[in-house]
Amino acid sequence: MGFTLRDHTADVAVEADGESLGAVFAAVADGLTAAMCDDPAETGDRFSFAVRAEGREALLFDYLDQLIYERDVRGVLPAAHEATVRLEGDEWVVEASARGVPFADVDARDVKAVTYSEMRLAETDAGWEAYVVFDV
Amino acid sequence: METREFGDIELRQVREHVWEIPREGEMNAPARVLASEALLDHIGDDKTLEQLRNATHLPGITKHAICMPDGHQGYGFPVGGVGATDATDGCLSPGAVGYDINCGVRMMTTNLTYEDLQGHEEELVDALFEAVPSGLGGGGVVTGDAETIEDILARGMRWAVDAGYATDDDLAHCEDEGFRDDARPEFVSQKAKDRGRNQIGSLGSGNHFLEVQRVTDIYREDVAESFGLEADQIVVLIHCGSRGLGHQTCTDYLRRIEKEHKDLLDDLPDKELAAAPAGSALAEEYYGAMCAAINFAWVNRQLIMHRTREVFADVFDRDWRDMEMRLLYDVAHNIAKKEVHEVGVDPEGRPVRDSDAVEREERELYVHRKGATRAFPAGRPELPPAYAEVGQPVIIPGSMGAGSYVLRGGDQSLDLTFGSTAHGAGRLMSRTKAKQEYWGETVQDELREQEKIYVKAQSGATVAEEAPGVYKDVDEVVRVSDELGIGDKVARTFPVCNIKG
Repeated sequence: MGFTLRDHTADVAVEADGESLGAVFAAVADGLTAAMCDDPAETGDRFSFAVRAEGREALLFDYLDQLIYERDVRGVLPAAHEATVRLEGDEWVVEASARGVPFADVDARDVKAVTYSEMRLAETDAGWEAYVVFDV
Repeated sequence: METREFGDIELRQVREHVWEIPREGEMNAPARVLASEALLDHIGDDKTLEQLRNATHLPGITKHAICMPDGHQGYGFPVGGVGATDATDGCLSPGAVGYDINCGVRMMTTNLTYEDLQGHEEELVDALFEAVPSGLGGGGVVTGDAETIEDILARGMRWAVDAGYATDDDLAHCEDEGFRDDARPEFVSQKAKDRGRNQIGSLGSGNHFLEVQRVTDIYREDVAESFGLEADQIVVLIHCGSRGLGHQTCTDYLRRIEKEHKDLLDDLPDKELAAAPAGSALAEEYYGAMCAAINFAWVNRQLIMHRTREVFADVFDRDWRDMEMRLLYDVAHNIAKKEVHEVGVDPEGRPVRDSDAVEREERELYVHRKGATRAFPAGRPELPPAYAEVGQPVIIPGSMGAGSYVLRGGDQSLDLTFGSTAHGAGRLMSRTKAKQEYWGETVQDELREQEKIYVKAQSGATVAEEAPGVYKDVDEVVRVSDELGIGDKVARTFPVCNIKG
């Protein structure tokens, strides 16, 4: 259970799996971190946030978008992701946290945005799997 | 007539360098690929053709969806794609613009020669790397408060002139004079503005760079003279976009379209083609927000150019004006614009391809160029007075080990591509594979020792991902553009110093 960076002509794709929706969300986020930095430092404080959306795929999209936003506004590389996902009424909610590694401590590059291109989020016998393309 | 097959897609050759995917099924128009046989082999190698065919499903797409010679797989709409949709009953698609709104290129000329620069390369590349923010979290030339951001979004390079970062001459040599009047900052989200605040005047990373180059070849003396280019001259090329502010704007509108125009989205084969119906409130708001992000990107490149002028002044110990550091042109290659084009129409007045048309009419269209450069020939009213007689400069960046090109808008571009041509070499190899094939430091050493190109980057991985071998042959891309008459070769440049994120 975890993630793999996959070939994409111009961008970067992350394939991930996890035992739960929360685990697969966090695994995709770990892949996003790996796309930006080969070796994130063990420094930085954890921060938390929550995101709501109308569906599971939309929630995954908004969660990753929020991470990119937090990165730019906090000036940190989010790493070591944790997430739990639940359905609340007709809305999906992710409660998430990450360790914000100060940019000064890492050699990192930009990922511009999450995309819906070829996005896959599906239940499997072992849990959940996801495929997400990021714009570099 | 020759045909080529790639998976389930068959292309028929219309004439040399012009291939067509005929209209069938739910397609609203045929698609065309402008490529030589060699480039078509690359284009057919990934999902570019599938994405191009999907793009023909956009409502109101006019004539053809078109793939430029440097086209490659993107997300939703292919990179190197041009799609013109009817501005009255078609659609406006953030997905067909891309996340990096007004990603583009500018070139600044100087009166220095390569000989003047030799011996200063190391000092210059170090000083540029120090002065121009790049990479992730590198900050910007300016850190903007809320008022500054609003002003930049509303007024583009006019803000830069008032703030002392640009001259009137810079404005006169920028697409749209560096200012989109349709900008509506109130339709740019607070999230986007938050991301833009500390990135005003920054390169970012990926394929963005600043390069000092020398002019190696002149192909059209008269046009080169009008552009202020001559052999052996030093020029500076800057390639970047609207940074987090533009990326967030695209993301925001993609999600709003998903929520507010689900019916239209459900009819499209790819969610990333996200489009708002022309005339809808959302289309109007996106257009205003996109134009504001376009203004932001022009300021971004202007601030980097301003810093570059200061660095040259330090390194060469003279005022930048004495080195005649002038903006040749700044042109976007990720953009949608309302433009008027002549199109063929059928007896019911519907735009159709020329062979089916009974007459021709002028129509207002949203011309989406995603990884494609506007390439207007002489005579179009949008051209700045300086280039009204010769055609618009088009800047085609190559990889850091190959040349770049300056073209001018070709006579055939309005007929073939809604006034567009390629935007670069086009990627060939994935980033993950590039990092397996290349090692950043080795690439840097080889470029310096074999080509006398000085590269400095925040991340060795970026150098590996952007190694010259991961790109298509820019010479072949430009040859096709020139032979089709959509963008004519004017000059070629070769890198001397390159900085990237």
